[in-house]
Amino acid sequence: MSTRAKELVALLAIVVLAVIAYIRKVGGAGPIEFSSTMSVVVICLIALSLLWILVLTIKGRLIGRRVVFIYVGVAVSLPLFMSLTQKVSPSPEVIQLYDAITELPEGSKVLISFDYDPPSAPELQPMAESIIRLCMQRDLKVIMMGLWPQGPQQANLAVEKVFEDTAITNKGLKYGVDYVNLGFQTGNEFVIQRMGSSFESMFSTDYEGTPYQELPLVRNVKNFSNIDYSVNLSAGFPGTVEWVQVAVDRYGVQLGAGNTAVQAPQMYVYLDAGQLKGLVGGMSGASEFEDLAEYHGKGTKYMLSQSFAHVVVIAFILIGNVAFFLGGRKSALKGQEP
Amino acid sequence: MSYHSRRCLRSLPTITAIVSCLLLALPFYASGQEPVTDSVPADTAVVIEAAPPTTVLSSDHKYDDGDQINLSWVPSIDETLKDSKVIGYKIYRAEDGGEFELLAEIPDVDTTNAYADQEVEHGHKYAYYVASVTETGEYASLETMPLEPEREWLDLNKAYLFIMALIISGAVIIYVETAKRGKELFVRKIAGLEAIDDAVGRATEMGRPVLFIPGIHDMDDVQTLAALTILGRVARTIADYDTKIFMPVSRSLVMTAARETIKSSYQAAGRPDAYNDDMVNYVTDEQFGYVAAVDGIMVREKPATVFLLGAFFAESLILAETGNSVGAIQIAGTARPAQLPFFIAACDFTLIGEELFAASAYLSGEPRQLGSLKGQDVGKAIAMVVIIGGVATATLAGAWQMGFAESIHGWLMEVFSTN
Amino acid sequence: MDHVSVWLGAFLTLGILSFLYKDNPWYKLCEAIFVGASAGYWVIVLWWDNLVGKFYEGVGDDPALWVGMILGVLMLVRLIPKVGWISRWPLAFIVGATSGFWMMNYLGSNIIEQVGATIMPLLSTQVGAGFDAGVWMILSRLVVFVGTFTGLVYFFFSKEHKGAFGTTARVGIFFIMITFGASFGYTVMSRMSLLIGRIDFILGDWLGLIN
Repeated sequence: MSTRAKELVALLAIVVLAVIAYIRKVGGAGPIEFSSTMSVVVICLIALSLLWILVLTIKGRLIGRRVVFIYVGVAVSLPLFMSLTQKVSPSPEVIQLYDAITELPEGSKVLISFDYDPPSAPELQPMAESIIRLCMQRDLKVIMMGLWPQGPQQANLAVEKVFEDTAITNKGLKYGVDYVNLGFQTGNEFVIQRMGSSFESMFSTDYEGTPYQELPLVRNVKNFSNIDYSVNLSAGFPGTVEWVQVAVDRYGVQLGAGNTAVQAPQMYVYLDAGQLKGLVGGMSGASEFEDLAEYHGKGTKYMLSQSFAHVVVIAFILIGNVAFFLGGRKSALKGQEP
Repeated sequence: MSYHSRRCLRSLPTITAIVSCLLLALPFYASGQEPVTDSVPADTAVVIEAAPPTTVLSSDHKYDDGDQINLSWVPSIDETLKDSKVIGYKIYRAEDGGEFELLAEIPDVDTTNAYADQEVEHGHKYAYYVASVTETGEYASLETMPLEPEREWLDLNKAYLFIMALIISGAVIIYVETAKRGKELFVRKIAGLEAIDDAVGRATEMGRPVLFIPGIHDMDDVQTLAALTILGRVARTIADYDTKIFMPVSRSLVMTAARETIKSSYQAAGRPDAYNDDMVNYVTDEQFGYVAAVDGIMVREKPATVFLLGAFFAESLILAETGNSVGAIQIAGTARPAQLPFFIAACDFTLIGEELFAASAYLSGEPRQLGSLKGQDVGKAIAMVVIIGGVATATLAGAWQMGFAESIHGWLMEVFSTN
Repeated sequence: MDHVSVWLGAFLTLGILSFLYKDNPWYKLCEAIFVGASAGYWVIVLWWDNLVGKFYEGVGDDPALWVGMILGVLMLVRLIPKVGWISRWPLAFIVGATSGFWMMNYLGSNIIEQVGATIMPLLSTQVGAGFDAGVWMILSRLVVFVGTFTGLVYFFFSKEHKGAFGTTARVGIFFIMITFGASFGYTVMSRMSLLIGRIDFILGDWLGLIN
């Protein structure tokens, strides 16, 4: 069979399997879950196959990049079927943010800025849901806004998810009184600068178009001095750096941050200098925060996949280095031959 | 503190002493601030449940637009008692001699005993009193003298920041002027710059194009400006070697600026006819849409050399990996620390952080760029000296409690703090 | 999630991922859809949030917005070669205003505060008030001090990296590379998180194979 024919057959097989699985799902079939024994067997099989690849590499038979892609895909997918959970140990910076929220008295106002879009949602959305849930559990007032256009939509999705919890729904929280979404405002760091003197000048209406003065929660909120704690969930620019530079250093805002793992290393300098009061970095940070808040959301669910993927990446780094050094030795030996 | 507040402050202890004596000696009496009833039978006692707060001070908040007055008070003496009935405080305010109106309610859990009134305006005078609140009544303090909030032109808390800015800006200006007068300013060699000509030569030999990506930020980002300066040099070499160049961009302004730069380079090389506007084309502002398009170009056109210079975000690794997979030699440079690891891992040469700007200054030889680079070095030198001096004095103060070291350390911490 | 959006999402996700195998018409179609949709999305956002939301609805209360509008239109004049030079004025305004704003932000937050935070005692016999005598604390502060100082030396362009200065710069680049390694590791986690999110969509929302 030609390569093209094989590709078409593979594509057809994927489509057929997808249709079967979809029909199964629509028919009401439940999810597939591996038992603990099955999970351990799968882990051992993957480990053995990695060892086999190492042996092949030592023998000089290098594997292609597509095999690496398949292994990463398998490492990410299979843990989602497993019933194992991963223990997390909260780090000091996550505990700092958690404590900052839990130490606020009832009725305190918490400003949450959603500065990310759907591509960064797998990391930041679990943080957003946990933080909003924690605030609502402790009867804190939540004011949401965004410096990215899709930020307020992510805020609404997070609130919807939180309200799936009956414990929160039973509190009878009201929009405009207990929580509000002020929406998106263009202008990047200049928005933060203007908020330092007047929130209303930047958000004359909320996300739904209700005038600022008709919202009981924010009617008396003039600027940052009326906010007790702020959290910035950021995936890039504008984000935590701008919030630190403008809100913290100019207006003395108490700020905690949730960042993608790409940005998190840069934020430690602000944390060490005391400019940030708490930092949640990446999915591991999200799972640590969920652990502290005693809520098992997507952060916790994804951590096993995360760890598996890291182990596979480390294994291939080691295999790659073996191949590199062995390749170097062979070239040197070839050079020495008479 | 204003004059009126000082007057109030001076007389308060005397008045407080007299009132306290009366409170202690006469357990039952009528408060001067309580509403006057029509008739109070002689044999009915009025119960006073708590003492009012004392030493209520209003002061102008410094370095603002005249829109804040700070209030502070000493809490009711009853709060020290076990069975204190005080459940909070209420603040009343009168504007320009008018009636007192309720301004704010402070719950008892708030122990700051202070309030920032931000609903004031310059040009009006405000007087306050604070009342301690129980279940059954309020017990008011004496009023403060009327106070007008003042405006200041400068925030002197940031004086040291201003001085540092002057020193660094001054150094930049001095070096720029020096460079303009023709004096040669030394900039050390930067690895990766020598590779530019070789990289373009490689593309010419292989008959494959050069791909130049100036990052995904707009012309207001200095990294983009640095990238375009280097583009001028690269385009000149390309024009000399008669190689093809592709430059997809994600900002329309960058497209027009890049076209001008390449056109000037071709003219300088004496080959204006070889220039074509299609060398630079706008793709999309959306980050991953741009990445998808550039990846497609890399895979289809198979450039021999890829320049990744400018402001990059999450797309950096995708672009560098794809460039690597098509066998291109890659020269990268960005000032974004989060993206540098990927460029270092996947590219052949990387300009780390400020080396991008140094390269831009080095290649252009422009006085402003060279002068800026040297001026920044002055700032770095100051930082190095301060860090060494600060750590030394802090260690001497911490380990041996030396007085002079503690003073210097204290002063440095005051200067190098923005709060 | 309705059937059409789920299948469309899966089609586009797998189409983009198919690039891992090789460039193919499915990937090209998805790329074109993505580029087109994103360009269209930003046009809508710029129109409704900027031009209508900020200018059209705000200019009645704040006539100063006309200044911004005129400067913005003058930027477009760049497309007309004869009068293109006019666009330098609004560009100069933008570059100048943002530089001025950012200069004090970066000077304050990224230089002054960070220099202040680096000044710590390496040895101490006092306890409390910021002074600590623990071994790990001393080691950690030494690392911060050496790393910051040598990193600054590496980025000093006015002196050739020779002799003691060159050695210090080499130590600096070691610290920088270790930092990049840690940053790389964090970013691998970030990328894996995004992949996990997509796989969760494929296996969960689309195929219903996981919870």
